[in-house]
Amino acid sequence: MALLEVEHLRVEFETRRGNLIAIDDVSLAIEEGEVLGVVGESGAGKSITGMAIIGLLEPPGRVTGGEIRLAGRRIDNLAYDSMRRIRGKEIGAIFQDPLTSLNPLYGVGRQLAETIMAHTDASPTAARARAIQLLGEVGIPAPERRIDAYPHEFSGGMRQRVVIALALAVNPRLIIADEPTTALDVSIQAQIIQLLKGLCREHGTAIMLITHDMGVIAETADRVAVMYAGRIAEVGPVRDVVKSAKHPYTKGLMGSIPIMGREVERLSQIDGSMPRLNAIPTGCAFNPRCPDGMARCGVERPDLMATGGPNRAACWLYAPLGVAVHG
Amino acid sequence: MAEAGQPIVEVVGLARYFDVSKPWLARVLQGQPRLTLKAVDGIDFAIRRGETFSLVGESGCGKSTVARLIVGLHRPTRGHIRFDGVDLTALGTRAAQAPFRRRMQMIFQDPFASLNPRWRVRDIVAEPLRAFALVATGETVAGRVAELLTQVGLSANDGEKYPHEFSGGQRQRISIARALSGNPEFLVCDEPTSALDVSVQAQILNLMKDLQRRLGLTYLFISHNLAVIDHVSDRVGVMYLGRLCEVADAQSLFRRPRHPYTRLLLDTIPDLAMTGRARGPVAGEVPSPIAPPPGCAFHPRCPHAGERCRLEAPALLEHDGALIACHGVEEGRL
Amino acid sequence: MAGAAPLVALARRAADSDIFYSFRRSPMTVAAAAMTLVFIVGAVFAPWLAPHDPFESVTVELLDAFTPPVWDARGDPRFLIGTDDQGRDVLSVIMYGSRISLMVGFAAVIFSMVLGVSLGVVSGYAGGFTDAVIMRLADVKLTLPGILVALMVDGIARAAMPRELHDALAIYVVIFAIGISGWPQYARVTRGATMVEKNKEYVAAARVIGLHPVTIMFRHVLPNVMGPVLVLATLGLALAIIAEATLSFLGVGVPATTPSLGTLIRIGNSFLFSGEWWITLFPSLALVLLALSVNLLGDWLRDALNPKLR
Repeated sequence: MALLEVEHLRVEFETRRGNLIAIDDVSLAIEEGEVLGVVGESGAGKSITGMAIIGLLEPPGRVTGGEIRLAGRRIDNLAYDSMRRIRGKEIGAIFQDPLTSLNPLYGVGRQLAETIMAHTDASPTAARARAIQLLGEVGIPAPERRIDAYPHEFSGGMRQRVVIALALAVNPRLIIADEPTTALDVSIQAQIIQLLKGLCREHGTAIMLITHDMGVIAETADRVAVMYAGRIAEVGPVRDVVKSAKHPYTKGLMGSIPIMGREVERLSQIDGSMPRLNAIPTGCAFNPRCPDGMARCGVERPDLMATGGPNRAACWLYAPLGVAVHG
Repeated sequence: MAEAGQPIVEVVGLARYFDVSKPWLARVLQGQPRLTLKAVDGIDFAIRRGETFSLVGESGCGKSTVARLIVGLHRPTRGHIRFDGVDLTALGTRAAQAPFRRRMQMIFQDPFASLNPRWRVRDIVAEPLRAFALVATGETVAGRVAELLTQVGLSANDGEKYPHEFSGGQRQRISIARALSGNPEFLVCDEPTSALDVSVQAQILNLMKDLQRRLGLTYLFISHNLAVIDHVSDRVGVMYLGRLCEVADAQSLFRRPRHPYTRLLLDTIPDLAMTGRARGPVAGEVPSPIAPPPGCAFHPRCPHAGERCRLEAPALLEHDGALIACHGVEEGRL
Repeated sequence: MAGAAPLVALARRAADSDIFYSFRRSPMTVAAAAMTLVFIVGAVFAPWLAPHDPFESVTVELLDAFTPPVWDARGDPRFLIGTDDQGRDVLSVIMYGSRISLMVGFAAVIFSMVLGVSLGVVSGYAGGFTDAVIMRLADVKLTLPGILVALMVDGIARAAMPRELHDALAIYVVIFAIGISGWPQYARVTRGATMVEKNKEYVAAARVIGLHPVTIMFRHVLPNVMGPVLVLATLGLALAIIAEATLSFLGVGVPATTPSLGTLIRIGNSFLFSGEWWITLFPSLALVLLALSVNLLGDWLRDALNPKLR
């Protein structure tokens, strides 16, 4: 049994112009200690998927279908209080802007110690000692002196380290990291990614790494799910997705990224843009932009299917020959 | 007009300091000194006609300030900017500057902030035409706007709409159409694709390359993304804390970086080719530009720093066709 | 046809807009808007709608003075809510009075808005010394209570002008007095919004092509800072109406011969304890209703324009 199982997840946003379907039939699983990358362009629904899993969807968004199970236990229908206990203790979260995760009015040590005491029966002294130890682990120099500093006294990179310490404070089994390095400079990005990956390997924590940055995914994730217009277009081991993408969207996406040392006059480009939620095309949502589109693509929506490699792609190019697929 | 290969823009000893001290009263009451941020601290480079010259560096290195100095959004603290041989810093009046302003335009980073939300696209695109009085009648303005919109891959009818009706990539196309409306020769592009998704980034980069070839444009391209810089540039300048540490043609800079900071930056690029190369973790962070380290500003993070680096700022000197500001390279240590 | 098409399109866009949607969804706001509309229509068309003309000495009979409302046994069906001490129909006086109240209110708000917004845009865009001078002026102004300033202005005007001239110009003096005390709020709000807008890249884009700062301020920045200013203006309208009533109540506003809500309340006030309660009650109710409606509209507008609360 996987640590996290998401099955047929559906998230809708109720607006006065009708319900917008932001996530439509998304299924994924994360194994114990695995790093699953979720990649996609803005509007693909990757952050909403993450928010749905930790139960922090902002209204009018809500889960309207499917199941989310953590270690076999359903968590998508829990009451607010039980979900709050799970957040923090079993699922940690790291967001793009470290300032939104830290209270500007309290020292970082106090915030860490409070989190530890809220989820364990540690004494204040023990919690403080653990906080110092955590700050050291995430690479903050002289943690015993920095523990009472306020968030604004840290640089952006150091703040994100504090947020990682906060997320790891009570040894959660899963961390949802939503664009954890996007706000940071490139030289700092590498530090943070290595830190996150190293710590999770040590603690056996699984990570769902949500980002638009294929480079971050390539060097961090074990498996990757590529999202497009609220659905998973392709999923597979990171090496296979990066090196031999199967879905035309993933191929186009990979070709459009400038890569150091690859001499091309023009980048390959996907024309058009991601559809808005109120205008998702019928059939395969990618079909109007797809270079390999067929008649079927505009009519019938493909589900993830085997491609002959380790990847699965939601694309009719890989439909089993001679077998009509329904449903 | 100068010939191809001749410098169109020359920057000499350019510096821009910002006064970031607290208001006078607060300073006096708290007994604090004036604080000066040396955003750009004496840089020299030349951009040749028809090429793409890029400036790369981390946030706070001063690359955007250079862009803004060149188009006249900031006044230099010292130094000169020559455009087609004319010293722009010596031109006092708005009228004297106008002919040069028409010939250089800027594309901004944030397509959601760079278009006035209350204006129709046709008015946004036509604003430079009207400001420089380039066309006489309404009919020709409309025609020119339609032509510009088509040129950047939009439809002529899009002029009737407002910016919020477009996606980020389409807005950046509108910005480009606007920048091109005065028939400029030189475009300053400040992180033009940083706010865009990668597939849209590819569209915009391709469009910019096509336009450059078709219209013979010269670009000053600012970005923090080395892979993008590698893709678009002919020559590259690497900036660190307000100074240039290496200027070289793109080929040799990316294949054979000389300055330790350039090497560090190249090491941090994610390995998308999946060669198994690990990203080099870099110790330390960029120091505050208000109190930069003495000597070579990079020495606290440099693995090769010696005694001289701590005391004396290195000059930008030529080594094998590249310009490098590093004592180590100068002494043959690196 | 060609002329109507854009209008139809505009109407359709307005009906479809988020603002209109939030308006329809709030019954309180719809009621407030209806009430405001009733006042405006009643005031503007008072000469045609009012049952009597309170200025026409031919129809105003002293004999009719102190007639109570119709539901009282001594009531007169000609005067729905009674008459005042001079025999004028209270309803008609309220309608004509609202005319003055609304006119003074609108004019004062426009006056302080134009002054405050101009100073605010200049202050926020120029910054530095100009900003410091304008903002210190606003600070000084804010330390003086508005009504005090209005009294002062009126006093100076009274002293400086002959009586007839003052009476003729009284309404403009009131508008000036109320308007001058309102500008600092507009200046502050506009300055703040301008400082946000001027750092946006569309302003930089306009500077790159060498536009004059004044052009940039008024063509680019101003349209983008008007949202909060409109909210302030709506709320300010209610305040201005009350300020006018207060001044007139104190006897330093419009001349006693001109019917305004404040004058009427003052007149009625002296008969309150002799049993003629209607003279003061109905104008007071009208004033409260009008100010409340306008205020509710302003509250709604503030929420509707604030993307964070939507």
